[in-house]
Amino acid sequence: MRLRRATRYRFLALTAVLALVLAACGDGRDDDDSSAGGGDDNGESEDGAGDGFEIDTVNCGVDPGTVEITGGTIKFGTSLPQSGTYAAFSSILRGQQAYIDYLNAEKGGVDIGGTKYQIELVAKDDAYAAEQTFSNVQSLVDDDDVFGLFNVVGTKNNLAIRDYVNETCVPNLLAATGSPAWGNPEYPWLLGTFLVPYPLEMVAFVDYLENQKADATIAVLRADDDFGQSYSETLKALIADTELTIVDEQGYDPETGEVASQVTSLAATNADAFVLGATLLACPTALNEVAASGWQPITYMSGTCTSKTLMTIAGASGDAVLSVTPLMDPNDPQWADNDAMVLYKEKVAQYAPADTDVGNGIVAYGWTAAAALEELLSRVEDPTRLGVMQAARTLSDVSGIGLQLPDSTWSVGEDDWFLGENFDLVQYVAADGFFMVAGERLDLPGETEEITPENLING
Amino acid sequence: MSPRVRLVVALVAAVAGVYVFGYWVAQQNAPSDVRLFTQALYVGIAATGLNILTGYNGQVSIGHGAFFGLGAYTSAILVSEHGWNFVPTIPVAMALCFVVGALIGFPALRVKGLYLALVTLGLAVLFPDLTDRFVNGTGGTNLVTLRGAEVAVPDWYVWFPDPIADFFDEWVGAQDQWAYYLTLVLALVLLLGVFLIARSRFGRSLIAVRDHEAAAETVGIDLARVKVTAFALSALYAGTAGSLSVLVNRLANAGKVETFQLSIEFLVAVVVGGAATVFGPMLGAFIVVFLRDRIDNQDSLSDLFSDPNRAKLLSPALFGIALIILMYVLPDGIVGGSRRLVRRLGRRSRRAPAPASPLTS
Amino acid sequence: MALFLSQLMNGIGQGVIYASLALALVLIYKTTGILNFAQGEMALFSTYVTWWLTERGLPVWLSILISVALSFGGGAAIERFVMRPVERSSPLVIVIVTIGLFLSLNSLAQVIFGVEAEVVPRAYPDENWDIGGVIVQADTLVLVGVLAVECILLWALLQKTKIGLALRAVASNPESSRLVGVSVGTMLMLGWGLAAAIGAVAGSLVVPTTTALTAASMQSILVFAFAAAALGGFDSPLGAVVGGLIVGVANSLTTEYVDALDGIELIVPFGLILLVLLFRPAGLFGKVHVERV
Repeated sequence: MRLRRATRYRFLALTAVLALVLAACGDGRDDDDSSAGGGDDNGESEDGAGDGFEIDTVNCGVDPGTVEITGGTIKFGTSLPQSGTYAAFSSILRGQQAYIDYLNAEKGGVDIGGTKYQIELVAKDDAYAAEQTFSNVQSLVDDDDVFGLFNVVGTKNNLAIRDYVNETCVPNLLAATGSPAWGNPEYPWLLGTFLVPYPLEMVAFVDYLENQKADATIAVLRADDDFGQSYSETLKALIADTELTIVDEQGYDPETGEVASQVTSLAATNADAFVLGATLLACPTALNEVAASGWQPITYMSGTCTSKTLMTIAGASGDAVLSVTPLMDPNDPQWADNDAMVLYKEKVAQYAPADTDVGNGIVAYGWTAAAALEELLSRVEDPTRLGVMQAARTLSDVSGIGLQLPDSTWSVGEDDWFLGENFDLVQYVAADGFFMVAGERLDLPGETEEITPENLING
Repeated sequence: MSPRVRLVVALVAAVAGVYVFGYWVAQQNAPSDVRLFTQALYVGIAATGLNILTGYNGQVSIGHGAFFGLGAYTSAILVSEHGWNFVPTIPVAMALCFVVGALIGFPALRVKGLYLALVTLGLAVLFPDLTDRFVNGTGGTNLVTLRGAEVAVPDWYVWFPDPIADFFDEWVGAQDQWAYYLTLVLALVLLLGVFLIARSRFGRSLIAVRDHEAAAETVGIDLARVKVTAFALSALYAGTAGSLSVLVNRLANAGKVETFQLSIEFLVAVVVGGAATVFGPMLGAFIVVFLRDRIDNQDSLSDLFSDPNRAKLLSPALFGIALIILMYVLPDGIVGGSRRLVRRLGRRSRRAPAPASPLTS
Repeated sequence: MALFLSQLMNGIGQGVIYASLALALVLIYKTTGILNFAQGEMALFSTYVTWWLTERGLPVWLSILISVALSFGGGAAIERFVMRPVERSSPLVIVIVTIGLFLSLNSLAQVIFGVEAEVVPRAYPDENWDIGGVIVQADTLVLVGVLAVECILLWALLQKTKIGLALRAVASNPESSRLVGVSVGTMLMLGWGLAAAIGAVAGSLVVPTTTALTAASMQSILVFAFAAAALGGFDSPLGAVVGGLIVGVANSLTTEYVDALDGIELIVPFGLILLVLLFRPAGLFGKVHVERV
């Protein structure tokens, strides 16, 4: 008994020592930091910034009109998976960093209102976990003093920081997902990226299908989450006034990616068309299963699957599959001599780590995203956070940046905050290994807002 | 060690503890660090609860991430969809988790050892699916997010006379400080709970059932009552932790990987700190949380790779290796290891000249 | 009817995948009494080695053989250097060590072999046969065949050879085994090596059928493999196979026929396990240990 008490005291002493050691690492406290915002007020803009162009800053913790770019560098923060199951997304950073390094080294930085600023990108790993993204972003804003956020990866990850960004009035630019949720007018501080919004993909496909077979039957396989829902709900809304019908819809668990039973079920319907609202490995798996079953529908596949890696895995099963893309495919020989493509390949080889694959769609996306950032910044009139966000909200006629399709323009509208509304419907040619354009260029400004069921945007 | 020395040590430790945890953490650290301490505390709460079930009662569970999630969702949903204030949601989360824990504890009666561990794994894996199906979260996902105002410091202290109100405002005014102190208070209360349980008849029954079920039954211990209560209590603790996590993360989330990782984190904290000890799991939680943070933010390995970002891939490996080394060095956990150390030191001091024996005079 | 049979085939196809890994789990448990959380990642690492060898131009079957041999050695080495120091500690400590191993192997595989998804070729032609409207895949037949061979070999080893006897003795009573001259350490290493080898076979054959190899390839399989082993009984290789089939088929049929459980089909296999364990606490084929008071 005596011994136990002694142990307890020793242990308490140990804890005390441990804690004091940690004390040596304490950073001290800055009591007037902006994270104290949101105390008594309602943290969000009251009229939801419905005007589109005027962002209401009344409820911001710190007035964003006063947060300026300091020194000759503008610092952005990003949070993405660099470890764990989704580590493959870390290639985005390679594309981004290559562009930024090229910009800083060869063009002196980005030109904002006549002054050149170097761009600095601070990246933190969140292993795709939404809680970690939130923690990273708080750290980036409070400790690293970033000017804004750029290309944070993941729908749930961006949703997790959406309120915080809105309350602290920090620009969150080019959130890396195609979710329709970024059109929500109550959150003016978040700008989505140029990926084709998932609902618009359905518009493209429905148009195509109506031309092929007006009374076609459709079978749907979609992920059991918001991503899959965007596809299925929009599709249902779109075909309501047509002769197209959905004969079966199956969901799959995005965390296990098992689709065999679902595809068997759908194949049994022998529907004319097949919509694959899936991502990552579930795409090629489903395509393989469909091919094995002998069913030969007109297949549409989510734009998130148009990567060389995934399509190589699908192999012959991917032939004639339809999808969309807002960018040029680095593997497509038709762009081989395109100036922007040549520049991309050259600079990535020069600035990115040696084992970077230029044919990797994720790297191409990162490159273009950084180019979009430069373009956005170059249009800023007032070099403060507020000024940057106003520029983002009024972005129009963006063209020729990064690997953007030639003759395409991206714009944000007053009510429609989606950039990627100009894109190509493409079809995969398995024998040659790339996506070919399969129709006229689609230019649908403002349509995402119109056709998406409201609960998906404002949910 | 003489009683007077022991008393002095205890007093010093207590004063240091109060200073460090009562003042230094929340007043002298940047908000990100305060949040880290808060996280360590609520993981510690969950680990302490798991210890009741696994350490004291021998039922291994790798599914307590599900109870944590249940607590988190309860609080998050009550606040965001039903407009509750945050603090009242905590007892609701506790009660709900207690009941669900008991419900799960019943079928667990017949399942033992590693089979029980696997059934609880099923729980951890199933919970996210249930949230996907039944939770109508933000943007159609299973994420429930809260706005700043919903987790903000409550302004009840304005009812107090000025000097007191000012004091509170300065000490607990920032959101991270509020979250920290609330968690600290609950952690202390719940630790006291375990302390009392360990000393009570119930505590002895827990251990008896763990060590020899058949024998325990023959001396009249109601196995079902003991085991189910252990489950229920551990779930209550985990749920409280989940609820508190919402203050820090401003969201409730569940994914198979995350829920499983949480369950493992609690178990690791219990073992690293010392199973079947009162303070062990809390200490273990601090180690696990701070270790992971230091590993995630380290820069020293980046030079090994041509692409510095590749070094981040190693974070889980570093953590895994650290765990393995900890198990080699301290298989009884820190508290258990300290006990052994003390015992060994005690033995050494006794090797001093043997007391005079009647035979050698 | 054809649909039912098709789903049944799907279930069997998935089931043998789970059974393949479950067999490794059962073997480790049978020979060392440990629940090895790292089994999946060990198999993952082995599969990456197989892939790496095929990338260097070796024929697939040879790559698998080499990988199996290397995995055997690797498994034995893990036992000797990673597990040996804690073998006498409490089961919880051992579990934590295997978890540390799980994290390390997964991360190291990504660092060494890269983060991109890779295609692992099959060791046999990828054929499907349409039999009365039901698609039967060569993948399933091969796995069933391999599982059968593994089970027979294991049974022969454990029941009919002296080494097998020694393995079982060490698992049941290490102290007494040591007293009669059995080298406990060597037997444990053998057990781990065999389990690692079985895991290598499982990974190398299964992953080609799942379209691509990534760091996550083994994780969902592991959960189901644990479920299968629990269902069948942790000390029965046959139980692992039967358990795997039951889990696979239950999953498939639920997906097809029970729309009410859309999205939460996992309830079925785990519910089944719970049900089985309520009536047979050591799984379908496991041996219940009788305790003397």
